[in-house]
Amino acid sequence: MVALSEGEKHFIRGGIEQDIRTDGRRRLQFRALSVETGVIPQANGSARVRLGGTEIITSVKAELGKPSILHPDQGKVSIFVDCSPTAEPMFEGRGSEELSAELSVALQRCLLGGKSGAGAAIDLSSLIVVEGKVCWDLYIDGLVISSDGNLLDALAAAIKVALSDTGIPKVNVSLSAASDEEPEVDVSDEEFLQFDTSSVPVIITLTKVGRHYIIDATSEEESQMSSAVSVSVNRHGQICGLTKRGGAGLDPSVIFDMISVAKHVSQQFMSLLDSEIAAAEAEAAE
Amino acid sequence: MEYVNPLTGFRVDGRRPNEMRQLKGEVGVVARADGSALFEMGNTRVIAAVYGPREIQNRGQQVNSNEALVRCEYRMAEFSTGDRRRKPKGDRRSTEISLVIRQTMEASILTHLMPRSQIDIFVQVLQADGGTRSACINAATLALADAGIPMRDIVTSCSAGYLCSTPLLDLNYIEDSAGGPDVTVGILTKMDKVTLLQMDAKLPMDTFENVMELAIEGCKAIATYIREVLLENTKRLECQRG
Amino acid sequence: MLQSKSFVKKTKQGRIQKVVREHYLRDDVYCGFVPCSACDAAAERKLDAAAAAILVVDTNVVLHQIDLLENPAIEDVVLLSVVLDEVKNKNLAVFNRIKALCTNKARRFYVFANEQHRDTYVKDMVGESSNDRNDRAIRVAACWYQSHLGESTKVLLITNDRDNKRKAIEEGLNAETVESYVRSLAQPGLLDLVVVPTSGDVTMEDAEDHRPSKKKVIYNEHKPMSEVTSGLRCGIYHQGKLRVNRYNPFEAYVGSESIGDEIVIHGRSNMNRAFDGDIVAVELLPQDQWHESKSFIADDDEEEEDVHLAPNSADDAPRNTSSTQSTVGSSAPSVSSRPIGRVVGIIKRNWNSYCGSLEPMPMPAGSRGVAHALFVSKDRRIPKIRIQTRQLENLVNKRIIVAVDSWDVLSRYPSGHYVRTIGDIGDKETETEVVLIENDINTRPFSTQVLACLPPLPWTLSLEDLSNPNRQDLRHVRVFSVDPPGCRDIDDALHCTLLPNGNFEVGVHIADVTNFVHPGTPLDEEAAQRGTSVYLVGQRIDMLPKPLTEDVCSLRADVERLAFSVIWEMTPDADIISTRYTKSVIKSCAAMSYVEAQARMDDSRLVDPLTVDLRNLNSLAKIMRQRRCERGALTLASAEVKFEIDSETHDPLDIGMYQIREANQMIEEFMLAANISVAEKILKYFPLCSLLRRHPSPTKEMLEPLLRTASSVGLNLDVSSSKALAESLDNAKSNDPYFNKLIRILATRCMTQAVYFCSGDLTFSEYYHYGLAASLYTHFTSPIRRYADVVVHRLLAAALDIAKLPPIFQDGPQLTGIADNLNYRHRNAQMASRASVELHTLIYFRTRPTDTEARIVKVKANGFIVFVPKFGIEGPIYLTPRGDKGGDWVVDEVHQRVTKPGTNISYAVLQTVRIHMEVVEPQPHRPKLQLTLI
Repeated sequence: MVALSEGEKHFIRGGIEQDIRTDGRRRLQFRALSVETGVIPQANGSARVRLGGTEIITSVKAELGKPSILHPDQGKVSIFVDCSPTAEPMFEGRGSEELSAELSVALQRCLLGGKSGAGAAIDLSSLIVVEGKVCWDLYIDGLVISSDGNLLDALAAAIKVALSDTGIPKVNVSLSAASDEEPEVDVSDEEFLQFDTSSVPVIITLTKVGRHYIIDATSEEESQMSSAVSVSVNRHGQICGLTKRGGAGLDPSVIFDMISVAKHVSQQFMSLLDSEIAAAEAEAAE
Repeated sequence: MEYVNPLTGFRVDGRRPNEMRQLKGEVGVVARADGSALFEMGNTRVIAAVYGPREIQNRGQQVNSNEALVRCEYRMAEFSTGDRRRKPKGDRRSTEISLVIRQTMEASILTHLMPRSQIDIFVQVLQADGGTRSACINAATLALADAGIPMRDIVTSCSAGYLCSTPLLDLNYIEDSAGGPDVTVGILTKMDKVTLLQMDAKLPMDTFENVMELAIEGCKAIATYIREVLLENTKRLECQRG
Repeated sequence: MLQSKSFVKKTKQGRIQKVVREHYLRDDVYCGFVPCSACDAAAERKLDAAAAAILVVDTNVVLHQIDLLENPAIEDVVLLSVVLDEVKNKNLAVFNRIKALCTNKARRFYVFANEQHRDTYVKDMVGESSNDRNDRAIRVAACWYQSHLGESTKVLLITNDRDNKRKAIEEGLNAETVESYVRSLAQPGLLDLVVVPTSGDVTMEDAEDHRPSKKKVIYNEHKPMSEVTSGLRCGIYHQGKLRVNRYNPFEAYVGSESIGDEIVIHGRSNMNRAFDGDIVAVELLPQDQWHESKSFIADDDEEEEDVHLAPNSADDAPRNTSSTQSTVGSSAPSVSSRPIGRVVGIIKRNWNSYCGSLEPMPMPAGSRGVAHALFVSKDRRIPKIRIQTRQLENLVNKRIIVAVDSWDVLSRYPSGHYVRTIGDIGDKETETEVVLIENDINTRPFSTQVLACLPPLPWTLSLEDLSNPNRQDLRHVRVFSVDPPGCRDIDDALHCTLLPNGNFEVGVHIADVTNFVHPGTPLDEEAAQRGTSVYLVGQRIDMLPKPLTEDVCSLRADVERLAFSVIWEMTPDADIISTRYTKSVIKSCAAMSYVEAQARMDDSRLVDPLTVDLRNLNSLAKIMRQRRCERGALTLASAEVKFEIDSETHDPLDIGMYQIREANQMIEEFMLAANISVAEKILKYFPLCSLLRRHPSPTKEMLEPLLRTASSVGLNLDVSSSKALAESLDNAKSNDPYFNKLIRILATRCMTQAVYFCSGDLTFSEYYHYGLAASLYTHFTSPIRRYADVVVHRLLAAALDIAKLPPIFQDGPQLTGIADNLNYRHRNAQMASRASVELHTLIYFRTRPTDTEARIVKVKANGFIVFVPKFGIEGPIYLTPRGDKGGDWVVDEVHQRVTKPGTNISYAVLQTVRIHMEVVEPQPHRPKLQLTLI
């Protein structure tokens, strides 16, 4: 909860009006981004992403499972978000459940596509081991350690980084003679399957404060928003998902405008993220 | 299984029986908290954040208006254990550990200096590899110090066990799951007072004394390290100021 | 000092999980070279400065050449932790031997924790097998040693792996194969110890040219491990430990949990190269092939039954007479109900080294080179083993030890190598040593660490002991002991005082061994390991060092000794009114033999107090015995024999049945009572960690031979309970005076062995002691010679609150381990005693051909088995010449009778026959006792 005085509110709104925000940023400028990979060695992939005062840890764990009957040729991915009370005393106990659920659903929508799995950011068919029998189940867990606004964008970025860090062990399957039996799976210790994360989108949230909209809002700024639109955009500039939050209505033309801005910003953010990932990987390799 | 190799005298991870895992402490890891710290004992990694002293949020929780209210919540991240399993929040184990940490920290906080206020300590386990309780207490101590909360003394905690007829300091997960006793001790280091003592399993009295002594030695070593971290941090802050 | 290095490992436990473990690398792992100045001065050092080379051995060298490494010619060896870990995973027996070498202070074997050293730890490389990785680690460690020790000291990598050796040399190391290194030592005898790598097999085949089966595949290939595991999982194969019949090496059993029954395996080809004790995978044969083999005395052309000591329990008895075949007799087709199978794979080998001798063979001409020979183990369960040797002429008539190395499908017999010579065949010392080695009995002198635990000698009673409030002074009580003649280790003494109220105070005083043997000391560990003293004919191998066994603990006459006492108040009707336990000080007034005590009691002129005490005790004992029998305790009989030994040559002079007197039974009765009282006490205080002794009820199957024999002579035995059996044994009378004893002897051998166990491992109903008809029993009365009693003394002392319970009792699995070891040692000690008696019997009859009476105990198709009461031995008598499978004789299984058709000559079970006993030598240096009918 951010408690602000009238003066502070005025100052924030005024700053956005003038294109110079309280921390000195312009409206379409990100805070400092830092990325670290492999922070949870027990996971198949993990990342820590800091965006200003917001800090996220994501882990990807892979387990062998059975594909669903509807999609025998696809693996399964689930995304869960948890907000630690270290980030905000309000998250204590069950206090974070609503927000966690909202973030989880938003991420699922942006990354996993529709019910059919079509349009998913992650190629689900690459997770299949034996069609109809064995597949990989990916569990993506996001943990908000420190929160200072723009959680969704930071979470999506962290997931992208964690997936690029993910190695799935190579498995050898020996199919036994009787076809109804469980196939035997042997896991290799050394070889890993790397993910192609180039198609994983980033999420850009445009927060509308007054007449203008800003990206990467801090908690203070978020407290002044009227509505926000989160757009997930992949490398090719395609829009993969969209969420509008906040009560106030928006003019459709404004939404189109926001989307095109988001698309533009996303390409910058994506290349920034790519270079950070490369740097983090280089560091981890050392 | 041999938890201490009889020929080389080393434990499964290459430590000697009386050696601790590698420690790492870092303060100020959560930007918006009043005080925070990361603490690692080997692969066990926890974050603690302290909010307060601040106004009491829920008047009903206030017990004594002359003292600060100390609250604590312990949480395990979904990915903190080898087995990824969704556990309900506030399960019994977490509640118990929350309580243990709260009581241990309360003993060192000068609560009477902060009447009608509350201090929240949140500990989040990022990775569990044995000794999470101890790591949480050590992290909480660092975070409280970072928040500038007045304390009597530095509380540190360390565990010790007894396997293969040898007292072992700072059990990791494999050793902890061996079924032997696990003695967790917390001490006020300068005052040399034990504030936390827990043990499961059976242990003969004289062996117990040795194991507990070893755990206390571990606590003292951690205290030395924590002082170093705090001193380092203070120097850094001093530099930043001018 | 700590360096952290996390590495990633994947395990599968049904699920796939990523496991992360820390691995600390350090700089305080030292080289162990004596003159090294770089390493910490306080570190342990073993490697000699004068060594010609410091040897670094690889895993396979340890696994296969352990006999060589044990030879004192090999010293200054560095064992890397990577090697030890691999050895441990592959073969625990070898690991224990190498571990013993590393901890032996007299040997210069140094353990170097290369995996923990900063400079010798190697990371896994992508695409590298774990074998290659470990070989690389060994080379890296060897390189480190070379550079650490400098040029003046030669570091030599010993490996038989060609690739590893080549790489080592490329990396600038000195490397040699085992054989070339041993050759360089120029000790020809050592070369016999070297296990020849498989490539050497070519020469072996050449040497076997005379064998028709030269290139024939004799055995089926073992299934690959992956197939075995999947077969086990889906239930086609069954896993279990192979147990070869002690009396018929061509029959084996595999106890399978998945079937819940024993699978029988007939013949060597079905056993498919498995050894006794191997863990094997078995495939069941189709049910229509479940035939039983017919029971002949000799089952195969090259095996034959020996004359041996009559068995004492079902565990010793031959099992090959299966119930179905005999009871059903000739009327039913001989399809067995027991599953029959064959071995398809060996999961874990139990290869060992074995005692035996070479099969007699003509000396090859010009025998300077390598000769091939067949080794015959004394243990009949082990097949013959092929070895090659350069010293054949030295080995032919010797007892030697041979270890097994491999068994190829092309080879009828396994291949092995010579380990060492024990001595001449037939020589008493040699054969005795064979007995001891075969039964895994430790005869090494006690180490200095063990002896350091002894109290200062000569030991005398101290004031401290007397002033101890927990120790009662009973020196004024008239205590005495009764033991076999010449007994030096007196465990127990008794007293019996008439109380003013007409009751008796009876005390059993047991040597207070735990006052001297403290838990956790080297002395205690050694005693726990030995488990029991072993009694051979004319020789005793002590569990505790001699000063304790014969002096300090022994309750000798006229000296003050510490004791642990059980004291009862008993009515003249032997009802126990109260029981009291205390540590005490006693002074025995007489150490009598059974004969002396019996003579005193029988001599009505004697009325001295001691004799009166004896008579009182005896009358109490008789009542107690009577009651015990009424409860259903079995009075069993065994054929124990006694030798009279020449004091100079130690050869047996006379042999006869051990006579049991009333005095023996009297002492036994009070020992039983003390043991039962103590068992009750300790179980009450420590229900989960008491060491007790139980005697499982015999199964129907085990009693079958007894019932069959009994019914053939018209005797009906009720075996429904021990009480019923005891009664029907009492009623088994005939005009033959020896009949009852004979039936009891036969009953005894149907019983299982009593075993020690930890009370927490079983339920109360399983604690039952069948033979004694006691619901609880333990061993308390012989702590000098049995470790179980030492454990029980500690439990009792803790129950009385006069000592703390040692921590080991908190550890269930360890306690079970102790009980298992005690059972193993106890059984081995019995086997060794029996073997020793057999050996002396043979020596006795060597110069004394004898005619005597014998009783038929079992009828076979070509003869029968007789039991010779006078000498307690049992052996076959052949009615037809060997090899002829008894066409002339007809067996009537129901009446246990063998008849020659057309004549009235027949022999029936329990019939008395006169026989001639003589030692013959069918092959030179292979004497055996032969029984023939007169």
